[in-house]
Amino acid sequence: MAVLEVRDLCARYSASGPEVLKGISFSVEADDFFAVIGPSGSGKSTLIRCINRLVNPSGGEILFYDREVTKLRGRQLRLLRRDIGMIFQEFNLIDRMSVMDNVLSGRLGYTGNLRTLFRAFPRDDIQHALNLLDQVGLLEFVDKRADELSGGQRQRVGIARALMQNPKLLLLDEPTSALDPKISREVMSLIKRMTTELKVPCLCNIHDVTLALEFCNKIIGLQDGKKMFDGPAEEMDQSMLDKIYEMEVL
Amino acid sequence: MNRALDRQPATPQREWSRFKFPGSLIKYGIWLSILVFLAYTVKYLDIPLDRLLGMFGRLGSTLANRYYPPDIEYIMDLDYLEYVVETIQMAYLGALFGLLASIPLGWFGSYNMTPSRLYVFPIARLISMGCRSVHEMIWAILFVTIIGFGMLPGVLALTFFCTGFAAKLFAEEIEAIDMGPVDAMRASGANLFQIMLFGVFPQVRVAFTGIAIYTWDVAFRAATVVGFFGAGGMGWYLKRNILQIETERVAAILLSIIFLVLISEVLSAWARARVMKMK
Repeated sequence: MAVLEVRDLCARYSASGPEVLKGISFSVEADDFFAVIGPSGSGKSTLIRCINRLVNPSGGEILFYDREVTKLRGRQLRLLRRDIGMIFQEFNLIDRMSVMDNVLSGRLGYTGNLRTLFRAFPRDDIQHALNLLDQVGLLEFVDKRADELSGGQRQRVGIARALMQNPKLLLLDEPTSALDPKISREVMSLIKRMTTELKVPCLCNIHDVTLALEFCNKIIGLQDGKKMFDGPAEEMDQSMLDKIYEMEVL
Repeated sequence: MNRALDRQPATPQREWSRFKFPGSLIKYGIWLSILVFLAYTVKYLDIPLDRLLGMFGRLGSTLANRYYPPDIEYIMDLDYLEYVVETIQMAYLGALFGLLASIPLGWFGSYNMTPSRLYVFPIARLISMGCRSVHEMIWAILFVTIIGFGMLPGVLALTFFCTGFAAKLFAEEIEAIDMGPVDAMRASGANLFQIMLFGVFPQVRVAFTGIAIYTWDVAFRAATVVGFFGAGGMGWYLKRNILQIETERVAAILLSIIFLVLISEVLSAWARARVMKMK
């Protein structure tokens, strides 16, 4: 069964603006680590942000476990979002909060306003957070402030925060672009290992094609908002890559 | 004729001027109109420059003859000191209530985080602008007229004044935040209140504290004079002695106001420097 089914998705940032996505269709299965590749400005980020509605699509359908996503509002939308974890290029941690509070913030969708106000998270959540911090190797940093960490460590906090939601799908928006090549590979294999273990399907924007081919089983290639390639990673070859990236220097 | 052609250079002549047609005309037109208006105003008001120049001499003799020596004993009186304490209390309450009102107003009046750009945002902006557009002395007169003399109208006037002052600064601070953490909180399914607590508040906490101290500072300065209109505090003493032409007492009161405001400014400058260092 498809976890996520996207049909004919279109998006634009203003009513009269250019179309950023021009009818994208694909589907993500339960055991997929799905890569979206393409040159800058091809609409990768917009595509990912449409799934959890950080960007509102202008047309098409998104089915998440057979639930139509594009029309959800208010509480229904928040319930959807808490089932979808997200990891960001710039980590988007709360700099002035501790690592623990950052990880716990992944539970906000499950937490009431009063508990949020006093940061009184349930005991189970704290146990869960400690377990995840152990798995990403940051247990001893639990009381450090997020802005005291290095880039790789910050992204590990981001991973723990996203998994705190017990997500049914993980969105990764260029998770390694702000990291150096060695740390990038470490972070990608950590994500791969943990999501395989927890059986979370992933949809990952990535511009580093080598990493995409190494870690992902399926790939779609975007160019200027259109889908140029959709298939297993093994079928991707150099001529296809050249075709996808031919418009980069414009 | 031939000579004119000879002078033409081999490369085509390119045109460039620093002064573009409509832009430069508007720019220098504005400068010119400012100068013209200045000249016109000076002429219209008929400012007597010789009196202006003689001002300092007269100021010296007036101060020496009438305001010196200041009646220090008068301001050491217990009754007066009680009014000083009352002034501090008024400033404290006004700043506190004003700041409490400013937090929601700043939130609702920030374009990026307001619950509704169409309805809530303009209303919040209107309220804070309304508070700001009326001078604190006018607020004092207004509230004294409505509810009579005493501390209460003073506190209310200062509350409105501080609300207008701080709500705008709070809103601007919220509009300048990094939206990344906000996106992360939205993506986790947090509601707007939770996004404010986790995504926004940690980013503006230090700036808010600085603004709060600054607000106290201006509230105290305003509190020393709202009593002039019967709204409590030491301003009332000032007015009474001015009316009775007790100039030496007035001098002493002015000295005490300057002294207190100086202390308050030094303390709040120190506190703000400490807060800013916290990051």
